[in-house]
Amino acid sequence: MTSLLKMPASPAELRARGVLGINRRNADFVLPANPRSHYPRVDDKVLTKRICESRGIPVPETFAVIECQGDLRRFSDLVRERAQFVIKPAHGSEGRGIVVVAEHDHETFRTSGGELHSLADMCYHISTVLSGLYSLAGQHDQAIVEQRIVRHAVFERVAVGGTPDIRVILYRCVPVMAMVRLPTRESRGRANLHQGAVAAAVNLRTGETFGGVCKDHFITEHPDTGATIDGLRIPFWDKLLEAAQDLAAALELGYVGVDFVLDAAVGPVILEANARPGLAIQVANRCGLQHRLDFLDTQPPEALAPARRAELVAALSEMK
Amino acid sequence: MNARKATPWVAGILVMTGMVCIGLRIRTQHELQLASGESLWRLTYAVKFQTEQAGARLSLAIPFDTPRCRVFRQVVRYSDLQPERLRAPLLEAREIDLVTRHAGDQNLTARFDIHLSRRARFSAYDSETSLTAQARAEYLRGDKGIQVESAAVTETLQSIRRETPPPDDLVKRLFEYCHTQIVAGEENAPADAAGAIKKKTGSPLGRARALVALCRANKTPARMMTGFVVEESESLEPRAWVEVWNGRRWEPFEPVNGYMRELPYNYLAVRRDGGDIVRVTRGSGLESHFSVLRLPSGPGAARSKHRSLLGLVDLTRLPLEMHEVLSLILLLPLGGLVTAFFRTMVGVRTFGTFTPTLIALSFVFADWRTGIFVFALVLSLGLVSRSFLDRLKLLMVPRLSVVLTLVVLCIIFCVSLLDYVHLTPGAQAVLLPMVILTMTIERFYLTSEEDSVPFALQLLAGTVAVAVCCYLVLRWAAAGRILFMFPEAHLFTIAVLILMGRYTGYRLTELWRFRDFKPRGPSEPPRP
Repeated sequence: MTSLLKMPASPAELRARGVLGINRRNADFVLPANPRSHYPRVDDKVLTKRICESRGIPVPETFAVIECQGDLRRFSDLVRERAQFVIKPAHGSEGRGIVVVAEHDHETFRTSGGELHSLADMCYHISTVLSGLYSLAGQHDQAIVEQRIVRHAVFERVAVGGTPDIRVILYRCVPVMAMVRLPTRESRGRANLHQGAVAAAVNLRTGETFGGVCKDHFITEHPDTGATIDGLRIPFWDKLLEAAQDLAAALELGYVGVDFVLDAAVGPVILEANARPGLAIQVANRCGLQHRLDFLDTQPPEALAPARRAELVAALSEMK
Repeated sequence: MNARKATPWVAGILVMTGMVCIGLRIRTQHELQLASGESLWRLTYAVKFQTEQAGARLSLAIPFDTPRCRVFRQVVRYSDLQPERLRAPLLEAREIDLVTRHAGDQNLTARFDIHLSRRARFSAYDSETSLTAQARAEYLRGDKGIQVESAAVTETLQSIRRETPPPDDLVKRLFEYCHTQIVAGEENAPADAAGAIKKKTGSPLGRARALVALCRANKTPARMMTGFVVEESESLEPRAWVEVWNGRRWEPFEPVNGYMRELPYNYLAVRRDGGDIVRVTRGSGLESHFSVLRLPSGPGAARSKHRSLLGLVDLTRLPLEMHEVLSLILLLPLGGLVTAFFRTMVGVRTFGTFTPTLIALSFVFADWRTGIFVFALVLSLGLVSRSFLDRLKLLMVPRLSVVLTLVVLCIIFCVSLLDYVHLTPGAQAVLLPMVILTMTIERFYLTSEEDSVPFALQLLAGTVAVAVCCYLVLRWAAAGRILFMFPEAHLFTIAVLILMGRYTGYRLTELWRFRDFKPRGPSEPPRP
C-alpha cells in the first residue's frame, strides 16, 4: 500500500535508470527494426509454428487447424484420440480465446479451470474464434487445436491455475532481458501481467529467477501460495536461449519478444512471438532496457555473430 | 537522411509553406484590382428580437445572385440560435432558418459581401426561362395587399385597356399609370393596391402592388420584389419593385422612380414574393437594421470572372448552406490532434482510436444534456441486452447487428420519450454515431468479461475524458472561423502531428507506472 502513495517518478529519474517508454520503444526500436511485412510471421500463430517446425525449434504439437465452420462437424473426431488439448485462435493476443481441455468423454469437456462444457459449447467457442472475435483486427481467423503443455515441476509452488510462461526479449538476435510470468488466482490462470499475474526476472546468464513484481509493485513471494519466487533455476536455460535466438533470426525481426512454456517432458517449447513486446519486463527486472539496447547498438556487426553472443549475454546480465 | 533528422525538416517546411500561403492570401486580399464599373460592398443585417420560449424561428432572406451582382462572401454570427437544415434555393427566396434554444433576447448579424458590375458579367444560378403552370397560377392570384378581384382594379384595367388598342404595349401603359397617375403619398398613404388606385396616391409599396394587381387582373403573371438599392448608407430601407413575365423572362418595373424593363445595376433582389426580409415566428420585438458599406477591392471579386485556382482555397465564396458543416469538418483534424496528444503524450487508453472524436462530433450537433442522457441510456441498455444476447450463442456479425438494431430502437424511443415529457429534442440532437456506440458496447462487454470490470470502466473513463476535450475543441467557434478562412492552417496541424509522431519521451502515465524506479527507498528489497 505504501507504493500507492508514492509520488510518480520524474522523467530524469527514469532516464537515469534507463527505463524504456512506449513511445521510444515504438519509434526507435519496433518501427526501424521490425519491417511491417514480417508481422504476419508473429501475428499468425500457424505461420509462427510452421517457421519453428522448419527450423527444428520445439513447439506444442499441432493436432489440427480448423479453418471454416464446415470443419466443426469433424471436431469430435479430431480430438477423439487426444486426452488433453488446447484450442487457441491463430491471431489471438494476450491469451484471449484460449481454452485448455484437461479431460473429456467426447460429449462433456472439462477445462483446466474445472468448468464443464458440452460439445455444442465447444463448437460455439470455435465458431466465435473463426468469426474473428479474438483476432487483432477482427478479421476471419483460424482455430488451432494443439498439445496441452504439462507444467514443469520447477513451477509447482509458484503457479496457480495455469502454466507459467517465460518471455525473452531479443534485440538484433541477442537476448537482452528475460522474465517468467506466473499465473495467480486473480489473473484466472492466465500469465497476463495487467490482469494480476506475477512476474519474476530471470538472470540471463544463469536462468535463475530473482525479484518479482505484481501489478507494477515489487514483491518476493507468490501472493496465493506464499512460496518464494526468488532463486528458482529454470531448467534447460541455454537450450531455451538458443531456441529464442534461432527464432528471432528466422523471423527477421530486430526487436522481438519470444514466449516459452516449459514442458515436463520436452523442456522449453515456443508458444508465440511478439513484435511489440510489453515493457513490464523492466519492472520485473528492476532495470531499464534502454542501456542494454544502446549497448548492443554500439557493438560492431561481427560482435553480434552467434558464436560471440554468450559474451554479450554475460555482459548484459551484469548491466543495471 | 534518417527519420529522426528528417522529421523537424518536414515539420519546418510545412510550417513555412503554411505561413507563406496564409501570408500571400492576406496580401492579395488588399491587392486585387477591379475592372472599371465594378465595386464591392458589404451589406449587413443586424437583427434583434425577444422570445418567450425556446423554438421561436427566425428566417433571413439572402440576396440572389444575378448577372450584375454576386455574393462572394457570407458570414452569419449568432449566439443562442441553432441553424435548421438550410433550405435549398427556392423560387421565391433563399432563406436561412434559425431556431432559438432558450427564451430571452436574441441577436444576429449577417454579413454579405457583394460584387456589383455595371455590365452583366456573372452567370446567374437561377435564370428562369419558363414558368410552370403552378408558378403561373401563383403569380396570378390575389391576396390581402393585392386585391386582383376588387372593383377599383378591374374598372381601372378596363378603362386603360379601352385606351390601348391591341398592338400597343398594355404593360407599359399600366406601368405609366402607376408611375404618373398614382402619386407618391404622405406617410399614411395606402399601401395596398385597391386603396392606392382608388385614392390615386400610395406609398412606394402601394404603387408597386397596384401595378402587380393590374397585371394579374390582366392575366399577366407579375410578382413583388423586395431588395435594396446598394449605396453607402448607415441605415438602409428595403425597396419594393415589380417583375412582370413577358412570356420569355421576367422584366423589372419600378413605379416610384420610373424605371421600366431595366433597373440600375445597384438594385439587389432579396425576395421574390414581396415578403419581409427578416421574419420571426413565435417571437416579438423584432428590430432589423440594414446597412451598406463600400469595401476596398478584395478577394473573390476578380475571381468570379476568371475561375482561378486560388479561388479553390477561398471557402467563403461557397453558399452559406455549406459554411456550418464545412467549418465543423475542418475542426475534425483538431479532434485528431487532441486524441494523438492524449494517447502519445499522456497515455490515456480509450475504446478505439477515433471513437472519442466521433462521439464528440455528434454532441456538437446535439444539445449536450440531451446527448448525455441518450448516450448513457443507450450504453446501459445496450450492455444489458448484450449480456442477454450472450446466452443465445450467436455468431459475431449477426450479434453485432442485433445490438445495432437495439441501439437504433433505443435512440428512436428516447426521442419519443423526450417528446412525451414535452422536451422535444431536435432531430440532430440524437444523431449519435450508432455504429460507434454499437462497437463501444461490444468492446466494453468483451473487456469486462475478459479482463475485468474496473479495467473496462477505466477505458470508458478514458474515452469519455478524451471525448470531452474533443468536444471543447469542436465547439471552439473562433478556431472554426479561422480554419474556414484559412484552411491551409492545417499544414500547422500536420506539422504538430508529425513532431508528436516522433516524440520519444515518456508518457505521463508511465511516470506513474514506473514510479518504483525512483531512487531506492528503505522499503525496496535490494537487487541481487
